Amino acid sequence: MAQAGVLLLRLQNVKKVFNSFVAVDNVTLEVAEGEFVCFLGPSGCGKTTTLRMIAGLEMPTEGEIFLREKRITYLPPQQRAIGFVFQNYALFWHMTVYENLVFGLRLRRFPAAEINKRVHEIAERFELMDLLKVRAALLDLSAMQRVAIARTLLIDPHLLLLDEPLNNIRPGLREMMRADLKRMQQELGKTMIYVTHDQEEALTLGDRIVVMSKGKIEQVGSPQEVYDVPATLFVAGFIGRPPMNLFDVQYEVENGHSWLVWRQHRWCVDKVRNQIEAAQPEKGLVLGVRPEKLKISYEASGIPAKVLLVQPLGRKDVLTLDLEGTTVHGVIPSELRINVGDVVFVEFPPEGMHVFSTATKGAIVHGIS
Amino acid sequence: MRRLVAILKSLLYLFNREKFFKNLLVLPMQLLLNFLLLPPFAIVIYLAFVNWQPIFGSWTEAPFVGVNNFIRLFAEPRFYEALGRTFVIVIVAVAIEFMLGLALAVLFSRPFWGRRICTSVILYPMMLPWVVVGFTFYLLFLDHGPVNYVLSSLFGPSGMISWFRSPISAIVAIIIGDIWQWTPFMFLIFYSALGALPKDPKEAAMTLGASSWQIFRYITFPMIKPVVYVGLVIRALECFKIFDLVYIMTGGGPGVSTETLSLYIYRVAFKYGQLSYAAAVAIIVLLSIALVSRLAVRPLLKEVV
Amino acid sequence: MKRKNIAMTARPPVISAILWILHRLVVLLVVGVFLVPAVWLLSISFKPPTEWQVFPPTLIPRSPTLDNYIVLFKPEAPRGTAAAMLRVTEPVTKSFLNSLIVVPIATALSVTVGFLAAYAVARFRVGGAFMPFFVLTTRMFPPVAFAVPLLVYYRWLRLIDTPLGLILIYAGFTLAFSLWMTKGFIEGVPRHIEEAAILDGASPWRVLFTITLPIVKGGLAATTLFVFILNWTEFLYALIFTSTKTITVPVQLSHYVGAVGRFYGPQAALGVVASIPVVILGYMIQRYLVTGFSFGLIRR
Repeated sequence: MAQAGVLLLRLQNVKKVFNSFVAVDNVTLEVAEGEFVCFLGPSGCGKTTTLRMIAGLEMPTEGEIFLREKRITYLPPQQRAIGFVFQNYALFWHMTVYENLVFGLRLRRFPAAEINKRVHEIAERFELMDLLKVRAALLDLSAMQRVAIARTLLIDPHLLLLDEPLNNIRPGLREMMRADLKRMQQELGKTMIYVTHDQEEALTLGDRIVVMSKGKIEQVGSPQEVYDVPATLFVAGFIGRPPMNLFDVQYEVENGHSWLVWRQHRWCVDKVRNQIEAAQPEKGLVLGVRPEKLKISYEASGIPAKVLLVQPLGRKDVLTLDLEGTTVHGVIPSELRINVGDVVFVEFPPEGMHVFSTATKGAIVHGIS
Repeated sequence: MRRLVAILKSLLYLFNREKFFKNLLVLPMQLLLNFLLLPPFAIVIYLAFVNWQPIFGSWTEAPFVGVNNFIRLFAEPRFYEALGRTFVIVIVAVAIEFMLGLALAVLFSRPFWGRRICTSVILYPMMLPWVVVGFTFYLLFLDHGPVNYVLSSLFGPSGMISWFRSPISAIVAIIIGDIWQWTPFMFLIFYSALGALPKDPKEAAMTLGASSWQIFRYITFPMIKPVVYVGLVIRALECFKIFDLVYIMTGGGPGVSTETLSLYIYRVAFKYGQLSYAAAVAIIVLLSIALVSRLAVRPLLKEVV
Repeated sequence: MKRKNIAMTARPPVISAILWILHRLVVLLVVGVFLVPAVWLLSISFKPPTEWQVFPPTLIPRSPTLDNYIVLFKPEAPRGTAAAMLRVTEPVTKSFLNSLIVVPIATALSVTVGFLAAYAVARFRVGGAFMPFFVLTTRMFPPVAFAVPLLVYYRWLRLIDTPLGLILIYAGFTLAFSLWMTKGFIEGVPRHIEEAAILDGASPWRVLFTITLPIVKGGLAATTLFVFILNWTEFLYALIFTSTKTITVPVQLSHYVGAVGRFYGPQAALGVVASIPVVILGYMIQRYLVTGFSFGLIRR
């Protein structure tokens, strides 16, 4: 998990237990300065709890947290200088925008002139100048989010933590605000950790993605990595829309060759035989192919499938196919004009076939060529 | 026969229409309140302008005296004394109840083992029959009662006070009784207000660097201000009407030195039989309270609406 | 290793521990102070007449007795020297019966009328935005002020000293509370549930009784108990509007206090007995009180 750049934050074997429920299990992570990291996972996977522990709003049951190599594990949030943007923004609704913004600065006893200068700078940048005297309770959502972020930036934090801040925004506005956020992060160079359950969001925003499930880290990597080279079954199934097609297959050796067998079909896996045999293939294997990698055509090569549904998405169509009783998704360019009820032929490309172990749920190989 | 059914059907239709429905719903309340409140209101106005003393006959025959009753009222020192006394009691008692209630609510805001039971204990004084409270405190402040016992152990025999023999100590005893009984009310208001606050802004304040005290001062307290205000107004109004406690503990005595406003009206009306004069006093008091509460409530309406 | 979840400040553990102990001590102190009067009342209620005026006062009676309680219900019964000193006039069963009749009926009436009206106000905005405050004004006036004309009125109606008269008064004056409290609970029911029922063809009555009512049952219970407590402990109007026939418990107690001779024992006993119902009820609604009192002003 080493990358270029100065190390800012380090989590080491962090564990959090609530009563007997393990919310965060053995999380180890490093974040470099200037990065935009996304914690991605379904609800309840521990991403928000981890975030809160970084902020100091929760304390780990085990493990350590280091900020620039200084131990902050049990340091109270007041002393961490880490900004936190809440899902509901948590503005002080009885105060004006201006008072919300200066709150942190006033506590730190900045001189009045300095405070004024900084606030006006940020207000300009975030287009809040007209709203300074407005009570926070009366703002619209996008303004609230800007105030929430601006408020944290004013105290010059080491890093910024965001807990699903765009959750409550309607889809059209959401993409816009997402883009704004990314741009702002790049301009300011502030390190950000962003929690979300929306994988599209994570893939768009993050420099690096931390995929979590059930309190554990499944994979850490760039958007490209988690997409092309998913490290576990979970990541493979979670990332990608439509999701990766998964098949339970058997491993057979016959005639001196190794095969993956699914129903009547088999694929030769001689080239990756060693890796597969090292991973206890007798306990079961899973074959995964991304929808867009499936070769679908009317030419009779491959497995026949009946088209159940066609979802046009502009330049491409998403097909739902019935492949010998299993529902499978595929993506084709719209020009092909495939219709519901047609019978098409599906081929699995060897370079797009991922093999996973049922026992360890981990990936064995990506591509069998 | 068919006619009857048609009529019933249209009645039923009428019965179910929204306008009919909603007015019907309010009807019992209006009936009750109008029955209960309107005639007395009219009567009291009538009474204030006549001179009716029941021994002289029925109220319909009482002679008209114009504003005599009111003139007498404004010149009557005993009225002003009662008024002043009541004010003193209200201000002192409510102020102390406010502070104690707030302090208790803060004390109870963080969970601790046995909090539920302790809350029950703190709340029960509010629910006791007021006469029981009055009587209990009467017992406590007796010359040979526990309070004097404690005083004598601390300060020797000269530390004991004859509580009910002098007006000042009697009023103090009354105020203490009121505080005991009604601090739970302020506690309840603060406690539930504090509990209803969202915790996110407080956490946000923490990340921005605020200490517990700063969070309370800049975030928590301002947020509960509207509720606090309402609670204060309600309590002050109720305290102004204080009657039961005083009646049981001192009966207004010694003499008339602990007479509160309500007690004064009661005495005048029922002990001296001067119902007309009492009516005049009642009207003046009614008007003043209405005026004050309207003024006090107006800024509140802005917050709510 | 267990740690507290949120460390609010970076205090050294020693100070944290001291504060923790201090906190617990203060709580205990407060609880103790609140218990003192009740404990004292109980104490006296179990003491024989000889110990009533003893100084220095003792907490535990030297010869505890139940006579004080017995004499309440059977004035002829007490034995020994107590008999000589406890010449209470009449059993309190009558006042208890009266209270037990008048208060529940008045409470039921008040809550029912209040609930219906609250529904109209909450859903149909009858009476405008000021309606709730207007009703609240009935609580603002000193009861005495109202008692005078009310007395005249009642005398004319011949309702003095009748259960009906008292019931009407109690219902009328607690209406404000019934209205306000149930209104809050009704507003907590999402409208779309009712709208769905209306779309299904239910009449407004049906909606009210089969949809809304079951949902606010808890709130209604809390309101009922609260109003019950108010009515049970009410004193002034009972004092003025009843004499011998419909005397209620609080008035009975005041009679004892004003009576010749100092019957502290039975008085205390009566106080205890009179308080038990409301203490129990109060405990039952405690949970509602704690959550329901923000007057809807804290909502974001």
